[in-house]
Amino acid sequence: MSLNFILEGFAHILLEVLMAVLPIMFLFLFFIIYFKLPKEMLLNLFKGIILAFAGLVLFLQGVNIGFIPVAGEMGSVLGAMPNRWILIPIGFILGFVATLAEPAVRILCSQVEKSSSGYIKGFIVMYTLCLAVGLFIALGMTRIVYGIPFYYLIIPGYLLAIILMFLSKPSFTAIAFDSGGVATGPMTVTFIMAMAIGAADVIEGRDSVADGFGLIALVALAPIIMIMLLGFFYPDGDEEPIKDSVKSDTDLQEDNNEDEEELAPGAILQDNNYIDDDILENHNEGEVDSDENQS
Amino acid sequence: MPENIKEIIQEVLQAICPIVVIIILLQLIVTKSPASLFWQFIAGAILVTAGLFLFLTGVRISLLPIGEMVGSEMVGKGSLYFLLVAAFIFGFAITVAEPDVRVLAHQVDFASGGAIGTNLLIIAVAIGVGFFVSLAILRILMGIPIKYLLAGGYILVMLLSFKTPDAFVAISFDAGGVTTGPMAVPFILALGVGATSVLGGKSEVSETFGLIGLASIGPVIGVMLLGVFYG
Repeated sequence: MSLNFILEGFAHILLEVLMAVLPIMFLFLFFIIYFKLPKEMLLNLFKGIILAFAGLVLFLQGVNIGFIPVAGEMGSVLGAMPNRWILIPIGFILGFVATLAEPAVRILCSQVEKSSSGYIKGFIVMYTLCLAVGLFIALGMTRIVYGIPFYYLIIPGYLLAIILMFLSKPSFTAIAFDSGGVATGPMTVTFIMAMAIGAADVIEGRDSVADGFGLIALVALAPIIMIMLLGFFYPDGDEEPIKDSVKSDTDLQEDNNEDEEELAPGAILQDNNYIDDDILENHNEGEVDSDENQS
Repeated sequence: MPENIKEIIQEVLQAICPIVVIIILLQLIVTKSPASLFWQFIAGAILVTAGLFLFLTGVRISLLPIGEMVGSEMVGKGSLYFLLVAAFIFGFAITVAEPDVRVLAHQVDFASGGAIGTNLLIIAVAIGVGFFVSLAILRILMGIPIKYLLAGGYILVMLLSFKTPDAFVAISFDAGGVTTGPMAVPFILALGVGATSVLGGKSEVSETFGLIGLASIGPVIGVMLLGVFYG
């Protein structure tokens, strides 16, 4: 067996990720120069961009050569079975584990824990997201298996979301709508789409294109509803970050907050000096790894 | 090996192992895939693992701190006008660059039978995102509760969905999910964290988040409007 398949479509993915990364890089370059931030940051920015770029390219390539073919096959094999309802529980399990592997979900959860100073636990948000996506993919599979119109799911879903908005805690509402955009990442969307299209292809009376559409919308809606429900039930606590609480490693936010009130421009600069040190430290720690990557 | 790296390796394994184990089990028990497909999957899983590790390392170690710093500088130094224009350009640029948006544009081109060209759609969606990102920045600065903007946006979406031709409804809702790719998300989150850390004030978390959520409404409305006029 030749190993050529590993490189299949590689140039295309390289180009796509490059396109996505360039505007962000230029914008940040512009801001770093415009705000006259220290030169070390430029170097640091390039290192971070190169690592994240290489990482995303490898990730997408891996999804394309390994996960998509398997997902398509699974969809058509399961859809062709006499008891095709099995797509529903399997859709749930795969939705759950695919969300665990979603890169941006990890970042969202750690940022949530950090900016709430530990009040909202990152892992709770993550498992709620996984559960949400799993449930809604099961719902999407039900729709494909039994032919339920898209309207019947999405309109009540968003109405429920609007109602929950006024019942849930404001912080959870904000996180909920963000996670809607985050959960629809490259692993979940491509993997589940491939499976749904595989299934819709073999089930009579389903149009694979039309039934494939709408599944992403369900995946985007799932976390919105479930995270707001979580906010509804989450124990009341001080939603504001407790100052002088446990200081986590790279927590610049707390330090900014402490001298926050009546801040003179000079004070901001002082804070930034602190941040710079922090970044430099981290950057030294990251050295080993980025060298590995470049070699 | 630095502590950070160890944590990231642990996180990557926790992220990838479940899906790999489940898929291998399904292949062995349910689908009984041919061996070639199995090895192809293993190769893909190795790439995905290495990729997630590099991505998280780059984002955690340098991009998040830089994004947070730029966010706090923007609020500290920039004028309101400057911020709103910068936010619009940022939203517009990341959308035009997002690969998934192009996929969406082809789907719409197809669904409209060629009436809505790919460029028209990409620009409509990008303007939608740019507008909502500016609105989100304005909200943070003015302290407007996010639920009013979200409720307003989604009620508009509901109303439009009755006017929009059927072929467009599902695609419009999908459009909301495609604009914020994995490259843009860390930057947007970090900017939000940085900006609100300087503003201080009431509930930090409700101010910090919501940018991505608001940015997702733009494209839904954009595609629906195109559907209403051209469909």
